[in-house]
Amino acid sequence: MSGIHPVRWIDERVGAGHWARKALKKVFPDHWSFLLGEVALFAFVILLATGVFLTLFYRPDASQVIYDGPYAPLRGQEVSAAYESVMRLSFEVRAGLVMRQIHHWAALVFMASIVVHMLRVFFTGAFRKPREINWLVGIGLLLLALAMGFTGYSLPDDLLSGTGLRIAYSVLISIPFIGPYLAFLFFGGEFPTEGIISRLFVMHVMLFPALIIGAITTHLAILVRQKHAQFKGEGRTETNVVGKALWPSQVFKSVGLLLLIAAILAFMGGLIQINPIWSYGPFDPTTASAPAQPDWYVGWLEGALRLFPPVEFSVFGVTIASTFFPGVVIPGLAFGVMTMWPFIEARLTGDHDVHHLLDNPRDVPGRVALGVGALAFFIVLTLAGGNDVLALTFDLGVESVTNVLRIAIFVVPLLCAGIAYRVAKDLSAQAPGSMLSPPTTGGRR
Amino acid sequence: MNKERAAAASFVVSLISSVGLIAWYFTGGGPRGEGILLGLALGGMGLGVVIWAVFLMHSPTETEERPPLAEDAERATGAPEVTRRTLLVRLLGAAGVALGGGIAVPALSLGPRPGQSLFKTAWTTGARLVDRDGNLVRAADIGLREVLTVFPEGHAGSADSQTLIVKVDPATLDLPEGRDDWTPEGLVAYSKICTHAGCPVGLYRSESHELLCPCHQSTFDVLKGAEPTFGPAARALPQLPLAIDENGYVVAQADFSEPVGPSFWNMT
Amino acid sequence: MPWAYGYDDPILTRVSGPLGLVLGLLVLGVFAAGAAAADRDRFVARCASCHGSDAAGTEDGPSLIGVGPAMVDFQLRTGRMPLADPGVQPKRKPPAFDEAEIAGIVRYVTSLGPGGPSIPSVDPVSGDLSLGQSLFVANCAPCHGATANGGAVGRGALAPSLSLASSLEIAEAMVVGPGEMPVFAFEQHEVDSIVAFVEDLEHRPDRGGADIGGVGPVPEGFVAWGVGMGSCIAIVWLIGRRRREP
Repeated sequence: MSGIHPVRWIDERVGAGHWARKALKKVFPDHWSFLLGEVALFAFVILLATGVFLTLFYRPDASQVIYDGPYAPLRGQEVSAAYESVMRLSFEVRAGLVMRQIHHWAALVFMASIVVHMLRVFFTGAFRKPREINWLVGIGLLLLALAMGFTGYSLPDDLLSGTGLRIAYSVLISIPFIGPYLAFLFFGGEFPTEGIISRLFVMHVMLFPALIIGAITTHLAILVRQKHAQFKGEGRTETNVVGKALWPSQVFKSVGLLLLIAAILAFMGGLIQINPIWSYGPFDPTTASAPAQPDWYVGWLEGALRLFPPVEFSVFGVTIASTFFPGVVIPGLAFGVMTMWPFIEARLTGDHDVHHLLDNPRDVPGRVALGVGALAFFIVLTLAGGNDVLALTFDLGVESVTNVLRIAIFVVPLLCAGIAYRVAKDLSAQAPGSMLSPPTTGGRR
Repeated sequence: MNKERAAAASFVVSLISSVGLIAWYFTGGGPRGEGILLGLALGGMGLGVVIWAVFLMHSPTETEERPPLAEDAERATGAPEVTRRTLLVRLLGAAGVALGGGIAVPALSLGPRPGQSLFKTAWTTGARLVDRDGNLVRAADIGLREVLTVFPEGHAGSADSQTLIVKVDPATLDLPEGRDDWTPEGLVAYSKICTHAGCPVGLYRSESHELLCPCHQSTFDVLKGAEPTFGPAARALPQLPLAIDENGYVVAQADFSEPVGPSFWNMT
Repeated sequence: MPWAYGYDDPILTRVSGPLGLVLGLLVLGVFAAGAAAADRDRFVARCASCHGSDAAGTEDGPSLIGVGPAMVDFQLRTGRMPLADPGVQPKRKPPAFDEAEIAGIVRYVTSLGPGGPSIPSVDPVSGDLSLGQSLFVANCAPCHGATANGGAVGRGALAPSLSLASSLEIAEAMVVGPGEMPVFAFEQHEVDSIVAFVEDLEHRPDRGGADIGGVGPVPEGFVAWGVGMGSCIAIVWLIGRRRREP
């Protein structure tokens, strides 16, 4: 094997040998959990690739046309041009449906991988000084990804996505003083409006992707500048990085990871049906089918809307609508605390030092308790978003499911937090060496 | 197993699958085959690359220095300072805010002002009821335990005027004060838009006479003026006062007396 | 075998309703006395404990006088009646009687009092799929779901999945409104079209891979986490876990 010399190749052409050599020799600590962020990155790459294909067939047009395609139950019906184009993509464009399904599965996995990556960062304390900025960029990415998912979910203009859009409008309108104005600006009038589809399209294919790419670039630039954090271990200090050079093994592993994730999504896209818009039918503002759920990452917001008690009141003539607390205040608080967490924790612990060595989660039981409690809170809310599906699946009354979850939303997070605190404490007191902490010597297991 | 052979085998699987994928496309395609072949093509290549990277590449553990991120304090003081001019700073700030407003103002073109549109629907005094296909509704058309979605004549399919009409035994009605003449022959009509998040309240439980919203399970009692009995909705569905004209058609006495759909701050 | 159970056979289900009546009338004419006594005995044995021996109702069950043949036929045909526990929502189960016995009980109950909807005829073959789709979405999907997989409608009640329902049963349910279900006064062509659409829904192949419950994003979310994210984490662990230096 003669060997591959990328540095010489680049140097001979653009004279960037010094930079390239430095970049390729850059040392990254290797721990499997450090690859979780890469999963999110690669899912996004797959979203871009499949998304470009879909864009070439999609028509962001709400005007009504007569469906005349191969799906018999809709033939002759009035549908929007947008819906018709997604139907054509799903039934007539060769490889169209598999691309659409890969795109949708990739979106769901993208969001999941962001959450898992974020949990890793949170539990290991990787958000502490000097990485607060990257935590903020990460929160921005999470919000952008949510916006991306929601706008994309709405584009096919089917009955289910139209229902989601309608709920978003209703939540927007509930904001005191500015709600109706905001909603009318965003939607271009009273729901449903013709213009919203093309607006969502511009956001989904141009505005949000551009912002996400910008934010990812910033995220990675800061990571490179600061060098990756590492777990404690022999020879690892706050002033060094112990790991493997980028070239060749890290690059190969990452390329392999990208390909394997793409493979999983391709299998899912071909073998598991997702969002069969032909079953839901075109959007019709006068009907809704049950069960009606958003994609999983909006499920916790949907759950908050379903669980919140019927509270609506008037203060000095200003009506506080029933959707305002669960739809605006709760997510606002949740994201507020999440965003500010690095600063809150520094304030609470009084720890303003630089940390390049990560915590073993069990060594910080308080943080573990908070994280597990918050996670349980979101999981219960997400389950509540599917309360009618739970009722149907387990043959229960939907009221009973709702009432149980209304209690569980307080009890389960506290219980989980308490148990997590105990377990972390016990583990910390017991053995040195767990799943997350690497062995003390680099070479042996 | 020999790692090199394993990687090679993976690449061969990938190669064959890619060729198969192309052949599959040209012979008609289909999502299942596309997914499997594309998955094998990508997965084979990925597996091969990973085996190569993990088992066949020598990559020793290295240590790199991590210099402090911040500059030394002395080097940082080298930059020339801007002398503080309070007037200029304030004026620049004010001009900046004004400029921001000037740049943002075109965004107001994105939508009309709400005006009265949230307070009114297309229902008018004497408007005859039609179904979703535009057919006029007679009182005799609706039987007990039936439910029909209706609109004002000329507005079939109108999103904010959609209304549910049901027929009940008038003796069982227990409506709020002042609605005694709203329900001729036991015909009761409520706005179909949920007062919680605006979904069409499409489920009618004809035995318990309750309407249920499929989105968040808000439940409304038809006999008691559509007061909410379960779920997150806090406000009753607005009721449409009905009458029957001389030809037997059902008509509205007037528009809803309160805004339909989700609540907003200045609705009362 | 004209009385065999052909749930999925449109010809059989189409014919069975009217034919049952015609045959019933014939039988009535010839063996009137003896058959009527047998029908009554069957009713008393299996139904009277709740509905009363005169079908006028008891604390445990409503009066059946004037409910009409479609209601009785639907309840018996889908096995909802007889009901073991009067307190719970009746659910579909294998019917307790054969076609002739059902026709007999229908005849007996109808003889006690007139009124109520008669057994509808249904002909899915002459239905219009597209009309059926649009009527189904507007009228049926809010409770039964867009894919007719059923839904929870509150107060412990479930709108059942229509996957096992025959054409005749669907048509009967529309005219009688069993339980909490409203009554739907559709024209014959509309009935045929809705039934045709439901038949199509249940029998068409899953386009785009395995149908994971057909209830939308909830199962999709579980699959995204379990299959998608689960595999990704497994891959990451296999790639990234520490190994002996080569």
